[in-house]
Amino acid sequence: MTLGTAMRRLFPLGSYVLLLFFLTGIWVVISPFAMTTQPSGIHWIPSTINNVVAGSLLIVVSLAGVLGYMAFELRDILREAREKQLQQELQEHQAAATH
Amino acid sequence: MQTTRVTIAKYIWGMTASLIILLTGGWLILAPFALGYQPWGADWANQTINDFWVGIPVAVVALVSFALFLASLIGALRASGVLVAAQRSQPVVAAAPAQAMMQTAAPVAPAAYSDQSDLDRTLATLAAALAADLNSRRQAQASSNQQTDQTISNRRDV
Repeated sequence: MTLGTAMRRLFPLGSYVLLLFFLTGIWVVISPFAMTTQPSGIHWIPSTINNVVAGSLLIVVSLAGVLGYMAFELRDILREAREKQLQQELQEHQAAATH
Repeated sequence: MQTTRVTIAKYIWGMTASLIILLTGGWLILAPFALGYQPWGADWANQTINDFWVGIPVAVVALVSFALFLASLIGALRASGVLVAAQRSQPVVAAAPAQAMMQTAAPVAPAAYSDQSDLDRTLATLAAALAADLNSRRQAQASSNQQTDQTISNRRDV
């Protein structure tokens, strides 16, 4: 397997979409402060709390999605490589036994 | 015996993440009204506009992402043989079933009958077998007749 194929398997289209959600989450968290809807010096208003919680959820879930998918795919790639190696060894043993 | 290993965990993982993000997007749309920081009847506040217009694309893209992960899961299950693709009915068989059965070489049930009950499929297989047998007998008879005509013409020539 080439490096490009492995990278394509590790980062499919869905992972880029999840990265987009990660950036969206960052914007949702900082938007009350960037848009100055949260007055400075006082406790957070409900909209700020809501945005920080929802944005944090987006960040965590999207990152977990990307990393989790990558971990599962990496496990599959390693398993395939191990099975291929075992198959080659078996074929070599069989060839040696016939000769 | 070689077995095919199906790994669906990654698709389930992606679907779960997409579903949570879909719900988060929906909540972002509803939150200004649910939490009451957007008064009814008043012009939308800046935070309401921001949450609403961020929530809609998040929900839509998460839905698309969920559908893509689901399609990938179904594709993987089909590729491994766990799921079998539905066979489409063949219009030739529907239009002229008798003719199609006569052309059947082996006693195999036509694909159009795959959605029917076991009894129907058995009957269809039986009918196809009979048609194939009849066809082969007719061909054999035709070839023997042709051979007889050839023999008679050879005798006449002698």
